[in-house]
Amino acid sequence: MVMGLDFSGYSYSTTTTSTEGDQGCNWNDWSPVVDWEALSGDQEDFHYLIDSMMDENVVLHQPVRSIHEGYNRLSPDTMMTDEESNSTEDSKGLRQPVRSIHEGYNRLSPDTMMTDEESNSTEDSKGLRLIHLLMAAAEALTGANKCRELARVILVRLKELVSPLDGTNMERLAAYFAEALEGLLDGAGGGGGGKKLLGGGKEEHHHQTDVLAAFQLLQDMSPYVKFGHFTANQAIIEAVAHDRRVHIVDYDIMEGIQWASLMQALVSRKDGPPTPHLRITALSRGGSGRRSFCTVQETGRRLTAFAASIGQPFSFHQCRLDADETFKPSSLKLVRGEALVINCMLHLPHFSYRASDSIASFLTGSKTLNPRLITLVEEEMGPTGETGFMGRFMDSLHHYSAVYDSLEAGFPMQGRARALVERVFLGPRISGSLARIYRARSEGDVCSWGTWLAMVGFRPINISFANHCQAKLLLGLYDDGYRVEELSNNKLVLGWKSRRLLSASIWSSQDSDL
Amino acid sequence: MTFDEPEPNPTADHILEWLEGSLSYFPSFFDDPYDARDFSADSWWVQTQCLDQEPINNSPASFNNSITTTATNATTTKPMDSIVSNQLLPPDLPKKRKLPDDLNPNISQSSRKNQNPRIHEADVGGAVTGQGVPPRRTAANKKTTGKSAVSNNIGNNKEGSWAEQLLYPCAAAVTARNPSRVQHFLYVLQDLSSLTGDANHRLAAHGLEALKHHLSYPGISSAPAGSTTFASSNPKFFRDSLIKFNDINPWFRIPNNVANTSILQILAEQDCSSSLHILDIGVSHGVQWPTLLEELTRRSGGPPPLVRLTVVTPTGDNNQSKSTPFANGPPNYDFSFQLLGFAKAININLQINRLENIPLQSLNSQVINSSAEETLVVCAQFSLHNLNHNIPDDRTEFLRVLRSMEPKGVVLSENNIDCSCNNCGDFATGFSRRVEYLWRFLDSTSVAYKGRESDERRMMEAEAAKALTNVGEMNERKEKWCERLRNAGFIGELFGEETIDGARALLRKYDSNWEIRTEERDYCVCLWWKGKPVSFCSLWKIDQKPCDS
Repeated sequence: MVMGLDFSGYSYSTTTTSTEGDQGCNWNDWSPVVDWEALSGDQEDFHYLIDSMMDENVVLHQPVRSIHEGYNRLSPDTMMTDEESNSTEDSKGLRQPVRSIHEGYNRLSPDTMMTDEESNSTEDSKGLRLIHLLMAAAEALTGANKCRELARVILVRLKELVSPLDGTNMERLAAYFAEALEGLLDGAGGGGGGKKLLGGGKEEHHHQTDVLAAFQLLQDMSPYVKFGHFTANQAIIEAVAHDRRVHIVDYDIMEGIQWASLMQALVSRKDGPPTPHLRITALSRGGSGRRSFCTVQETGRRLTAFAASIGQPFSFHQCRLDADETFKPSSLKLVRGEALVINCMLHLPHFSYRASDSIASFLTGSKTLNPRLITLVEEEMGPTGETGFMGRFMDSLHHYSAVYDSLEAGFPMQGRARALVERVFLGPRISGSLARIYRARSEGDVCSWGTWLAMVGFRPINISFANHCQAKLLLGLYDDGYRVEELSNNKLVLGWKSRRLLSASIWSSQDSDL
Repeated sequence: MTFDEPEPNPTADHILEWLEGSLSYFPSFFDDPYDARDFSADSWWVQTQCLDQEPINNSPASFNNSITTTATNATTTKPMDSIVSNQLLPPDLPKKRKLPDDLNPNISQSSRKNQNPRIHEADVGGAVTGQGVPPRRTAANKKTTGKSAVSNNIGNNKEGSWAEQLLYPCAAAVTARNPSRVQHFLYVLQDLSSLTGDANHRLAAHGLEALKHHLSYPGISSAPAGSTTFASSNPKFFRDSLIKFNDINPWFRIPNNVANTSILQILAEQDCSSSLHILDIGVSHGVQWPTLLEELTRRSGGPPPLVRLTVVTPTGDNNQSKSTPFANGPPNYDFSFQLLGFAKAININLQINRLENIPLQSLNSQVINSSAEETLVVCAQFSLHNLNHNIPDDRTEFLRVLRSMEPKGVVLSENNIDCSCNNCGDFATGFSRRVEYLWRFLDSTSVAYKGRESDERRMMEAEAAKALTNVGEMNERKEKWCERLRNAGFIGELFGEETIDGARALLRKYDSNWEIRTEERDYCVCLWWKGKPVSFCSLWKIDQKPCDS
């Protein structure tokens, strides 16, 4: 069916070419803190710098349309040298199409139009100020000259400047980052006694209806969730095309929404084999959170009922993880003749962070079960080599700025809806993110789970053309800023403009091809 | 799976439906080409409603209910409170404000030395004033002052000035020629600086101005533009402000006091009938002399028959001397008239001679018109650091000039900090030392004014802030000064008991973070603020053994 669709209007290009247009604003070229690029300028440079400080328009005269672009302004090239105007001109040229799309959308909203024309330059300069303040706060918290008092003062200032509930995208983002840093400042010294930030504990404070509403909004506003689910599901469908019985072990089932769409796909295979029996084993955790036993049980009920309603043979099981969330393969009931699929959705925007030990135990344990397919969705990290807290902090800031921008670009008028998504999901995620990189700041490189899978001997499976097309089709329904690239044969990456955000990859532990 | 495989993608339909269904949520934005047709998932959610009626339901089943209008089953509105309340964490956990001890080894170290458990707490808790004052040094712990000073420095530094933590790295980035990092700090400083905030915000503001100045005009001293300094204020306001300042901050008051009692001490050693000649090379702008004159009337033998005051005013012929903090009063300020009137009122025969536009190096007995019969005392306060100390070594040269005038005593008060000139270190080093100096001034001044804002305070601070943009040779540690004086043929003189006791008694009226430390080794009286050295006073006489002539 996908084949039958007309792709002519859709430029199906390779990933390299599709991102090329963004290289003018290449964030990756800039490593802000770890390796400050020392320009070999003489006093002239400083002169310019001072002039620009005194007359803000020199540096900031170009309106920044998005946080994302704001960051690129930070690059030494565009800020410091006399070539500034040139290089900005260049990148502006390269980004022209993107801009016009932006503007097109902005026309839709009288608010944004006014903002665009009247207060852009003050907004821009504020955005840059906020980024500098955030960087300084992070550095004061962890850098060589640690000064908690300084961190405190900067955070106080940031709180005067921004609020998570209103203001521009950049302002709200800065507010959440400031909150997260404050959490580190307050909790970090406690020697373990501080707030436990692992799961982004804040999220549990939100009213359940808020969480659900936010989830629905997130689904509607962005392709993040569906990209992960659809890519994984498509891979599963292809992998079990000829099987009578399919068993999926799901690491983090949440509301189970992924499986409703899989069932629909399975029952509607027209020319294919009869609908296979589907068994889903969801891992559950202790406690009373969203992934507790009861919640998972409820998800199971709903899925069972749904399966019955569409004629999908189905059974549902739970498998409890140990207290420390370790996975024991032996606790899994396996049936001979079932095609085993391991589903591991990790960092969708509405998910909590899972302890890496738990994930590792799950993936390692899975290997002993010799699954047909492993589907892995995880957050893409920034350019490798960004080690240390500052590097990862900036990477994280960039990551979430892209997420914020993408949500705004798609739905410029839905400010309140976005605020809800930000409050319920992104805010806690930012806190969790920073807490993780804060605790891991002494560690060396952290590799992605995909890399990890390859290292422990899983075999990459090719992403089908159909699957790739499906992802493109999905993104076609959202803002043009979204991109999908095939980073390797077994991995699709969803990005916003030049920033990679989320990847879906598929693996197998079996030797033979399908 | 390859392109050619005939198997159609079986999910496409549903994906589209799924997408359409959800996209219809915002029909106002999408020109709804997609109708909110039957959203297949709805059926699934609707099914859920039935399950909701089961007793153990405590799941997010109200999901759809809360956000779509399709689900209308009233039973689904059953609140999810059971879950919510279960998972609620205790609200508003108390925030940790105090740093735990182990985070700040420096502080622990320093407090151990202080033998005062309160200090530790105060440092750690961030309490700056009021408590945690190092105990006043007594003779018993004199020997340890040197070392404890060092550790105190570190401890207090961590606690004290966050603005320093921005200014130092920024200066370092300037020295390292790293524009992007410089720019970063300038941005942050810009946002945190305020000339009317607390001492830290002020330090940030002055520091930022100085950095900008340096980046624009490297190597050129200047007075801060725009703010009122000594030189740009009106004489009355200037004098009142200075007197008020001396009343609440001992920065100058203690050196003045030590100088005055030292002069009395020298005078007491002389013949009662000899007249007193004071060579005033200092920054007290006359406000220290009424006290001395008063003291003279209380002398057992009565005041000297003649008191001569020769005031050397700064030459003011170049930027360098104009940018020396506290040296230049308003152009038409002259304390002579008032002081003479005061002397007359208390029956002291006072002569005042102002030497204008005479460089220090060209002073000699003829210029100051001194004679062997009178008791000549040189009072040099916070002025000599302005002289070159490298090549040519004007400092040592001038001390020799002083010696040639054969004074009965020389009182030298100077800032007790390292030199910040370009020959003694790179920009970052020099700038940091200047900032350190200014921080002590701003911090103690903030305490002195009880944090209140006033024109007087602004002027005093702006004047002190000139130290940041003064690129000339400035300051030396007291050890170096002592060495210089010895090399120039002077010998240190022990302050009399009444001098030190008097200074200590006077200091009691000021904030308790101030302390006076004395060292037997070099006879200096040192003024400290929050465990850091600020200034020293020393008394010198001519070494009768000819040393190097």
